[in-house]
Amino acid sequence: MNAANDDPADDIVDVLSDYLDRGVEPPRELIEQSPENHLALAALLRVREAARSLIDVDEGGLSTGDEGWIDSILTNLHREVKAGRAIPLTHPSPRANLTLTEGAVRGLVRAAGDSVDGVLVGRCVLDGDVTVAGSPVVVRVEASVFWGEPIPAAAERLRVAIAGALIQHTELAIEAVDVTITDVHLRRTDDEGQQS
Amino acid sequence: MADVDRLSSLAEASDRILAGRAADGDVRGFEVLIRRHGALMRAYAARILGSNADVDDVVQDAFITAWDKLPELEDLSAVKSWLMRIVNHKAIDRIRARHDHAPIEDWDDPAPEREQPERQAETHSQQDSLVRALELLPDAQRNCWVMKEVGGFSYDEISAELGVPPSTVRGLLARARRRLMTEMEEWR
Repeated sequence: MNAANDDPADDIVDVLSDYLDRGVEPPRELIEQSPENHLALAALLRVREAARSLIDVDEGGLSTGDEGWIDSILTNLHREVKAGRAIPLTHPSPRANLTLTEGAVRGLVRAAGDSVDGVLVGRCVLDGDVTVAGSPVVVRVEASVFWGEPIPAAAERLRVAIAGALIQHTELAIEAVDVTITDVHLRRTDDEGQQS
Repeated sequence: MADVDRLSSLAEASDRILAGRAADGDVRGFEVLIRRHGALMRAYAARILGSNADVDDVVQDAFITAWDKLPELEDLSAVKSWLMRIVNHKAIDRIRARHDHAPIEDWDDPAPEREQPERQAETHSQQDSLVRALELLPDAQRNCWVMKEVGGFSYDEISAELGVPPSTVRGLLARARRRLMTEMEEWR
């Protein structure tokens, strides 16, 4: 096929495409000017309509045959990149240098949060210089609450659970645990698609 | 909470919650993101690449990069479009490699014979005929067209991704549109 630019039919495709790109309907006079213009617009619209359906896939549309593929992604993740800062821990021996990673603390926060019924923990940020023992630290956590749960009560239970876990397992000087409820999610019903 | 229970309750979580967990190192949260968006990413990668070859690799690579870079993502709720950008970039990279990193101007040769799909007895829909027509487009034209019409990228974004001036993008897109229109007419 010849795609040379001196074909006058090329120009009309460009002109019409520009209108469509801008989300503007091409002027009626332009379309009615010639049958070619009319056909060009129809063909262009057909291509666009088909384009929209090109990646129509169901959310979560992976099949059971994809389990191996998912596994291979998960096993290839670089886990160490999430370690974050090193948080000092005291030890009776002055020669021992004991640290806890920031990632481990976040994991602790997540586990504590997930143990609270009706709540899912999202991002967790340790605000403060955790690398210096005794520096004040504010823990900021995002969370989602099941639809129907009273939000203030759920947020408070979450706050208490996180603060308790941090006091028990770390030496961080926790100044505050700030919980932000960013989402409400629906509780999974039994008959919905089960993933195993 | 058992692992399976955790995964099924996470399946109800928003993208923002899951992206936040994954940014903090939660593999289960990341797994739910893969299950939720993996199929879309594969479908998009197949359109950019022009076939299903390399799709699994490219999307896998995109997820591994996403895992590393998630802590830098500012708007966690936009993780889906962010993932689409990463997979787009990885797919374009793959095509660059196929062309031995030659400049994009040289990608515009006709699709080699071996890449032409076997014609099935008939195409069933407009979508089928478009897929077939796309597979026959030269890489540079197909990439521009898919990024614009399927990925929703702007001229400037495409130009930045491909490293060519917007005028080149315009030209490639114009040629792609004409070819696709003609091919689709023939299959009608």
